[in-house]
Amino acid sequence: MKGMLKGMGVTLKALTAPKVTTSYPDTPYMMPERYRGIQHFIPELCIVCNQCARICPTECITLTGKPNPDPEKKGKVIDTFDLNFEICILCDLCTEVCPTEAIVMTGNFELAAYSRDELYKDREWLTDNNTRVREDNNNIGAPQKGGAK
Amino acid sequence: MDWLSSSPVTWYDALVVFLWGVVLMLVVLGFVTYAIYFERKVIGWMQYRQGPNRVGPLGLLQSVADILKLLIKEDTIPRKADRLLFVFAPVLAFIPSFAVLAVIPYTQKLYFADLNVGLLYYVALSGISTLAIVLGGWASNNKYALLGGMRSAAQMISYEVPLVISVTGVVMMSGTLNLRGIVDAQSGGWFWDWNFLPQIIGFAVFVVAAISELNRTPFDLPEAESELVAGYHVEYSGFRFAFFMLTEYVYVYAIAGLATTLFLGGWHAPAPFLDFIPGIIWFALKFAFIVFFLFWLRATLPRIRIDQLMGLGWKLLLPLSLVNIFLTALFYELFQR
Repeated sequence: MKGMLKGMGVTLKALTAPKVTTSYPDTPYMMPERYRGIQHFIPELCIVCNQCARICPTECITLTGKPNPDPEKKGKVIDTFDLNFEICILCDLCTEVCPTEAIVMTGNFELAAYSRDELYKDREWLTDNNTRVREDNNNIGAPQKGGAK
Repeated sequence: MDWLSSSPVTWYDALVVFLWGVVLMLVVLGFVTYAIYFERKVIGWMQYRQGPNRVGPLGLLQSVADILKLLIKEDTIPRKADRLLFVFAPVLAFIPSFAVLAVIPYTQKLYFADLNVGLLYYVALSGISTLAIVLGGWASNNKYALLGGMRSAAQMISYEVPLVISVTGVVMMSGTLNLRGIVDAQSGGWFWDWNFLPQIIGFAVFVVAAISELNRTPFDLPEAESELVAGYHVEYSGFRFAFFMLTEYVYVYAIAGLATTLFLGGWHAPAPFLDFIPGIIWFALKFAFIVFFLFWLRATLPRIRIDQLMGLGWKLLLPLSLVNIFLTALFYELFQR
């Protein structure tokens, strides 16, 4: 009997307590600071080192480079950069391995589409995906340039 | 409606009576629609959710949409079901639930039927719905439906007994079975003149037995949506299922009205200085509180086992209600003569 009354009290208090649900589709849901959302790509920073494509566990990144149009500079610039969100698991490895932070995570997560083809995101789309870009891209404390002394 | 008994009934009188019936029907349907909405909202809030809020402003049209969906569903009757009984059972369930509302008085002036045996009429008619549930379970030709029907028959019969005996104390105190008379007998001006304090044992038994009669949590074994498939209405869909649900909520209305009139002083204000507020408001407030209490219980308590249910009914509530009668009789014998 006492337990029943106690339970009734709990539910009565919950009646006016703040609700834990959010009106998500109506108002955008703000993911936490370190959330691993859809990548943002910055072509100017990319040095076409191919590390992201190599580290990717699902091999969803395909990229090609071309020689630098400025003949005085060495190296390559990015030509195409495709990310297949059918298989991307948003594991953060590509952004972790990137030496120039040309690919970084964002807080965006909405990927639903009517066709699988729409899930192949190209360089332009990833570049335009520039909202809520993650600030701290070394949250695991990996050694920076020069490596461990 | 005193003119009914004094003069021969004309077609005009019949039409007026019929229209009042339609008005009550609309009121009850409105109540059911928003009781379901309110129940879902309250349970949602108690579970840290918002409850329905998509259909219409604040989700107010949610139950309307649900009912509409039920009405346009395909109406299926199992091939091996007893067709006649299958069709008849929801109707038989609903008619008594609506008919019992006739005796509930809302205020001194506003009531439908002023029966001298009002309480008896209520109890007698509400027993018929049990029959309809067994009938529905049997006619479905489905083992789950039959088991659910049997369970609910056992439950409703064993709780009908303490329910009726628990109100006997009230009848003894007011000296009448007329529900208006019972409310009048509680007119002392203060809330302690209402029957729920002098008849506290009877009131407690009444509340428990009434919740069980309504097949609501913690006594919702006939449906037990998480244990049985769905109880007696497994095979019912669409319109017929809607009728069973409607019956259930109309009984919520009836029991809340009955508890208000029997124990909570009907249309009387709780204190003399609050008399300026009209009786219908007081009735509505008490009524709403009982309905809220039912939803509150549902959000709090888990379902009990069938053996606990039967044990509670026969071993605790029945003796308690009998003791209540004897205590009331003893009190009247010793102090009132």
